[in-house]
Amino acid sequence: MSNLAVQIKDLNKNYGSTQALNGLDLEIPEGSFFGLLGPNGAGKTTTINILTGLVNKSGGYAKIFGHDTVSDYRNARKLIGLAPQELSFDFFFNIRDMLALQGGYYGMSFKTGRERADELLNQFGLSEKSENNARQLSGGMKRRLQIAKSLMHDPPMIILDEPTAGVDIELRHMLWKFLKDQNKNGKTILLTTHYIEEAENLCDTVAIIDHGKIIEQGSPRTLIKKSGSSKLEIKVKNWKDNIINDNRDFSFINETLHIPAEKPEKEMIWWIEKLKENNISIEDIHISKSSLEDVFLKLTGRSLND
Amino acid sequence: MINRPFMTLIQREVWRFLGLYKQTLIPSVISSGLYIIVFGESLGSRIGSIKGIEYIHYIIPGLVLMNAINNAYQNSSSSIMQAKFLKFIDDLLITPLNGLELSIGYMIGGIIRGVMSGILVISLAWLLADVMIVNIPLTILNLILISWAFSALGVIVGIYGQTWDHIAVFTNFIFMPLTFLGGVFYSIDMLPEFWRNISLVNPLYWMINGMRYSMLGVHDSPPFLSIIISGMFVIVFSSIATLMFTKGYKIKE
Ligand SMILES: Nc1ncnc2c1ncn2[C@@H]1O[C@H](COP(=O)(O)OP(=O)(O)O)[C@@H](O)[C@H]1O
Ligand SMILES: [Mg+2]
Repeated sequence: MSNLAVQIKDLNKNYGSTQALNGLDLEIPEGSFFGLLGPNGAGKTTTINILTGLVNKSGGYAKIFGHDTVSDYRNARKLIGLAPQELSFDFFFNIRDMLALQGGYYGMSFKTGRERADELLNQFGLSEKSENNARQLSGGMKRRLQIAKSLMHDPPMIILDEPTAGVDIELRHMLWKFLKDQNKNGKTILLTTHYIEEAENLCDTVAIIDHGKIIEQGSPRTLIKKSGSSKLEIKVKNWKDNIINDNRDFSFINETLHIPAEKPEKEMIWWIEKLKENNISIEDIHISKSSLEDVFLKLTGRSLND
Repeated sequence: MINRPFMTLIQREVWRFLGLYKQTLIPSVISSGLYIIVFGESLGSRIGSIKGIEYIHYIIPGLVLMNAINNAYQNSSSSIMQAKFLKFIDDLLITPLNGLELSIGYMIGGIIRGVMSGILVISLAWLLADVMIVNIPLTILNLILISWAFSALGVIVGIYGQTWDHIAVFTNFIFMPLTFLGGVFYSIDMLPEFWRNISLVNPLYWMINGMRYSMLGVHDSPPFLSIIISGMFVIVFSSIATLMFTKGYKIKE
């Protein structure tokens, strides 16, 4: 059995009468790039805040690399670097000293902290701003600083709560690349998102969370396969019935052939030849690939970003 | 508990008020200087002396205490309030620091500022009015205990309060009246019996009295009582503050 970075069992959380988490189970192997995907209010932030100790759970337990987040909180917390959903900085200091203090809270000497801060500021293209206050940074810079801060004590796991919400495309791609590199270098990453594209692009495993519960989990590829809604659509002229006598699954609606297919590209070749043989002219071809969006839709009957 | 994360929090708290010295340390020096000059010089010549102490000297222990209280209380309460507004408190709550370390760390920041402002006022009094301290260790002990009690109260108000007004309420409606009524500027022996008896339930009275004993060697009532009373406040307020941090009262969900 490989080591687990996160082990959550039957986690519950009530905020008054709102049940935010409802018996959530989750296991994240060490070294994984793990996505927690779900709509707003699904319980992503609550789950993360219980891992870091910011929210008191109502039931169940959570462990970080085997350390219970409550009874062994000191060891558990040292192993996590968190980039929270909402930006938060200590505005009293310039960003270099702010980072050095952040390192200090995790046991780093101030001198080592400053060296590490310089290294990270450089890596995130913020060196020029090191004497500035976080208040004086642009939105994108603040995001980068937020992630640099989570890395100060070089934790084996980073948790990012919607790191690219409201971020422009350029920065998003930069962050994606950065996180991929971090993962390659051995860091376990837990990322929450309600962007399908992000989960599909980055994560080796995705857990879909809804109403405080994990409703499905797997690699993006297997999940998509399971939802089975990739399809090929071919608009044709002068269609004739009875030309397809194989046992092929399709329907003909509005001058268009709708063909469910796991690999629509492959299917397309067969169909083009068949239609040519029968002198049926093709007006338009459209491939619709199933995505995690479809997975979510199929599981819940709702769309993810409603 | 004396570990690096804990020391970092103290370093942070001290840096904060030193960086803001124009709002933190300087005002207490100015207002005390004014009290010494205006009250001491002008009223002093009319009042003469109390218990054999020149009036200008008699008021100094109360001024020292007033400043220590305000600075200690302001430091922890405003630092925590600000941390809540900026969400920076969350960054601290997820570090390996526990509730005890967080609350004591914030308290020590306030104690250092309270003691520093007390020492600044004493130095100023020495410059302006040539005052000499009778018992330095006891003065420091009093300063530390009083600053500690009010810094701990500041932690409680900082966590509990929702707005800056909540912090000011304590300063304006509780500390100010109680210090003035506690005999900063007079001896309660000068009051009619009724008001004298009322003064005895004012903890600030006992603290001022103890401070006056340690600095000038005179007192209205047993001087060790001030140590006991401050000590009790220290224990009660520190316990509540630590419990609040540990349970995450109002700061964790
Ligand atoms: N502090 C809170 N008080 C009351 N309800 C809350 C609080 N935080 C979150 N909730 C509720 O808990 C549920 C889960 O929220 P959250 O974990 O923030 O979801 P997500 O991060 O997936 O958007 C939502 O219904 C939300 O309204
Ligand atoms: Mg959230």
